[in-house]
Amino acid sequence: MPVLTADMVPVMVFSGASQRLDAKIAAKFKPGDEIVARNINPAGHTRLPRYIRGKRGTIDRDHGVFVFPDTIAHGRGDKPQHVYSVRFEARELWGEDGHPNQSLYTDLWDDYMDPV
Amino acid sequence: MNGIHDIGGMHGLGPIEPEENEPVFHEDWERRVFGMTLATLALGQYHLDEFRHSIERMDPARYLSSSYYEHWLVSLETLFTEKGIITREELEARKAELARGAA
Repeated sequence: MPVLTADMVPVMVFSGASQRLDAKIAAKFKPGDEIVARNINPAGHTRLPRYIRGKRGTIDRDHGVFVFPDTIAHGRGDKPQHVYSVRFEARELWGEDGHPNQSLYTDLWDDYMDPV
Repeated sequence: MNGIHDIGGMHGLGPIEPEENEPVFHEDWERRVFGMTLATLALGQYHLDEFRHSIERMDPARYLSSSYYEHWLVSLETLFTEKGIITREELEARKAELARGAA
């Protein structure tokens, strides 16, 4: 059984338990692409917030390849894929009550988005 | 899940007010919970995203009214009992002992 040793601690703490994977996976999107977030409502784990679902945004940058939370949280494997910082305009998220000159960036996995 | 943790866009929760000169741990039990989490994560008995999901599954009222490290503690209790590392009875018995002041 693996045991936590003192020398492992600084690595774990300072890497913040990174879930980045060293895998050659093709990206579905690239910076500048227009996307629409999927309207999924799984009973299990997801990192697609409700206020983003069904909303249109723009890929800002590609963070690289990571494990997929929706599957790994339930023992259904890594399903490695790209994660992106995606920009959404405030008016897109909140309608007329949103600030006309404000945007929000959130990190989304490949499987959370469809192309527009 | 569409749980209590997914609060983006909600009104009425007030502004985020960062604590000035916030200590890493407010109380010693928080330090121990941090250590327990690190040690058990390294054991590979559960994955980080399972840990997060177990916090999402907390009773919503308790989630909103408890601290960050209390969320971690509830997660450990949930995961360890669900995975059979300890039993719920062992956990409750030990809590009762500690409440009575036993070492």
